[in-house]
Amino acid sequence: MIFLTIIAYYTSASAASRIAASINPPFIQANMGDKITYVGTITNNSDRAVNNIIAYISLANVTPGKEAPLDLEDWSANKAIKVDTILPRGTYEGQWPMRLIDSGSYVAYITVVDKNDNTPLSSDMSHLEIKRILRLNPNNVLPVAIGEPVALGMAFMFVAFRRRKWVK
Amino acid sequence: MKTAYIMQKEIRESILTPKGFLWYIITSMILSALSYLFLTNSELSLLDQGQMLYRIMNFITALGVLMGLVFGADAFAGEIERGTLEALFLSPVDKGEIALGKLGAVLTNWGIIFAISLPYLFVVGKGEQNLLIGIAYLAILGTFLAIIFSAFSMGLSARIKSMKNSLIISFFVFLLAGAPIFLSAAQRRTWFGRILDFINPFAGAINTFDNVVIDSQGFSYQAGRVAIICGYLLLSLWFLKRSVSRLEM
Repeated sequence: MIFLTIIAYYTSASAASRIAASINPPFIQANMGDKITYVGTITNNSDRAVNNIIAYISLANVTPGKEAPLDLEDWSANKAIKVDTILPRGTYEGQWPMRLIDSGSYVAYITVVDKNDNTPLSSDMSHLEIKRILRLNPNNVLPVAIGEPVALGMAFMFVAFRRRKWVK
Repeated sequence: MKTAYIMQKEIRESILTPKGFLWYIITSMILSALSYLFLTNSELSLLDQGQMLYRIMNFITALGVLMGLVFGADAFAGEIERGTLEALFLSPVDKGEIALGKLGAVLTNWGIIFAISLPYLFVVGKGEQNLLIGIAYLAILGTFLAIIFSAFSMGLSARIKSMKNSLIISFFVFLLAGAPIFLSAAQRRTWFGRILDFINPFAGAINTFDNVVIDSQGFSYQAGRVAIICGYLLLSLWFLKRSVSRLEM
């Protein structure tokens, strides 16, 4: 009887039933360069505390022809969060600020890993649409980028001309 | 006065020439391409402005060091190979003054590179809170590095008396010093990377730029690294003095 109870406890206490993860907002439309924040909520549905779990955000590019998981190095500063304890029936809210680096269609989701379970748990996907913004002269760079080499070139011609005159 | 005369001569011969100007035009074109790429490329343009400023500062420092090494390698060995050192030694100027004058010309070259880079720094770092302090650090540490590497290269040139060999050794030293740029962050965290970072004045300078521009840290955090760079400065000047005093025709 005790044996059956233990088996019943462990099978019912798998990550899927003990913990639930969700991501908010479910849909975002933004421009390149915008900063957004995803909020992930991890809920402990069991009567026992959940300890030492890791939650992280993943982003996948689903733009036709560019389908690939994304390395978030430049996009998000804190990709993984370690949660020490979530009390029974308690929740934990993690934030993932993100800077939108490239345009396209993406899906974002939170994954929760509990070292006592073999199966990681993922939230639903949040859809992210990023519009391309083309900036041809940011920070007024063009006058400097074109003007300075031209000015130095003119100075070069002046020096060369004076030298030639001096040699003659 | 005699040092100033040698310095003027060097500037006239190396910098105020069409060839010298061509270097600066190329420097400016590279900085134009780099700044435009940083600000318009879809991914690079969204880097933190501090990051962009830091990368441009690294490039300018490396360029100043590289040109200092080339100038330094030419300083004595080049004169010997062109057969002009004898005439210089016959003039009433002592060897130390000649070395100082040549070093002054190298510093003038660094000053020109720094002046050329200023508009780019202001454009790339527009609105960045650490722009001015970053430029101040670049001016000071860049000058120190220009002196360190060019004095080393000049000393080498006086000892080896062969421009080709002193240039090759100088480039090896440059590659070794520039290793932090080529190593990944993970490699730099290994014991070898840490030691290389600690003893390398070039790494000291770029780590200082990182701390000042990106991490907004104050001078107290940089003092150790700046002290090491100052130590190298004295060491390189001593090496130059000793090498030049032994120089014979």
